[in-house]
Amino acid sequence: MVDDVSFTFEAGRLYVIVGPSGAGKSSLLRLLNRMDEPTGGEILFNGEDYHAVEPWELRRKVGFLFQTPHLFEGTVRDNIRYANREITDERIYGCLERVQLRRDMLDAPTDNLSIGEKQRVALARLLATDPLVALLDEPTSALDPANTEAIERLIKHVADEHGITIIMVSHSPDQVVRLKGEALLMSAGRLIEHGPAEELIGNPRSMEGRKYVNGELS
Amino acid sequence: MVAGLREVGLAAIMVLIAIAVGRYWKLPVLKDMAWGSVRAFIQLVAVGYAIKFIFGMESLWLMALALVVMTVVGAQTAAGRVKRIERPFMISITAMLIGSIVPLATMLLADIISLDARYVIPLSGMIIGNAMNACALSMDRLASDLRGNRLAIETALALGRKWREASGQYQRAAARTGMIAILNFLKTTGIVALPGAMTGMILAGADPLHAVFVQLIVGYMLLAATTITSVLAVEMTVRTFFTRHHQFRLIP
Repeated sequence: MVDDVSFTFEAGRLYVIVGPSGAGKSSLLRLLNRMDEPTGGEILFNGEDYHAVEPWELRRKVGFLFQTPHLFEGTVRDNIRYANREITDERIYGCLERVQLRRDMLDAPTDNLSIGEKQRVALARLLATDPLVALLDEPTSALDPANTEAIERLIKHVADEHGITIIMVSHSPDQVVRLKGEALLMSAGRLIEHGPAEELIGNPRSMEGRKYVNGELS
Repeated sequence: MVAGLREVGLAAIMVLIAIAVGRYWKLPVLKDMAWGSVRAFIQLVAVGYAIKFIFGMESLWLMALALVVMTVVGAQTAAGRVKRIERPFMISITAMLIGSIVPLATMLLADIISLDARYVIPLSGMIIGNAMNACALSMDRLASDLRGNRLAIETALALGRKWREASGQYQRAAARTGMIAILNFLKTTGIVALPGAMTGMILAGADPLHAVFVQLIVGYMLLAATTITSVLAVEMTVRTFFTRHHQFRLIP
């Protein structure tokens, strides 16, 4: 559950939400693209109440990457086309390049891909809708260290080079520092504090922040 | 063929043979065999008297009441077989009512049968029985597919698809599940097995070709009934899994 979170995400920046399990990080993410309905308060997108937009239109602007990627049956190309039926081949190549996948993988069946490749295809598919915001729910938690590092690099690249606002959930303080950007610490459904990643993790102001960094909250 | 109480009593020897075989093989169904045979006897004799009574009364109201009772019991049975969906009884009774009325009304309007309990009651029994199975199977398949594919459905929704697109493949598979029995019947009837209504008529001394035509009519009615029931049951069930804001929700 999420309660009493008031925050403005600025366009084109990278945000990482951290906090112990059950802090409401993923719940907050699901509210932001209306996968769940808020029971109170308001969420503004580009300055307007996000209820003014149809949910499916909003979700094309505010993409979501799940912890475990789900790819639909078929090829990599089928999956990218699923997100955007009108996409040209040129743009598909562009999406692949952004996630550093080779062009010859386009016609590969998705069942044969490794988990790391699957997560990249899922990211390419998300980018195919031309989102303004990408919500990433612990996108590296199922990956090994090498793949984690590669995906982190891609995330920073997407944020820095393409101006997409990234809001990512992470359960690892180290990852927050590696990704830099703005960190938000949540606990028990509330936003406890926020600030530059290194500052928040290196020198937390709140009691919960210190407990979290010291591993007392898991 | 001679069939009276004496003949049924003699035929019960076969129940004893079945129980003896079951005992020898230590099958864990001896009680079910014995109790099932007795129960079938009581239920069928009772329904025989009930139908005889309804035939004798020649009352449309009584016939309608019998149909309502059959549909309500059928809908309750279908609803009871499905776990964790919302309003299963309302869904079952609506789908089964419409699914049963359409073929029955068509038969009446085409003047293939007359509004006589002798035709309406037995045909309705077959239709409602088949509609009940179609309803339970399609609801159950849909609910378990939706539950088991939450990530796939939410992935589709997150990519900007509407709920109907995100659940389309599961809806079609569930409706098909409800129709499998009648589709298999239509494919294999006359080759692998002779259908019950036709066999009964032939045993009772009817002209085989006449029996075949009656069976075909029944088969077509059942196809319409199970198709309409399955599609309606799926349509109503799937809506309980999504909000009007295209959000997937699981019933706890």
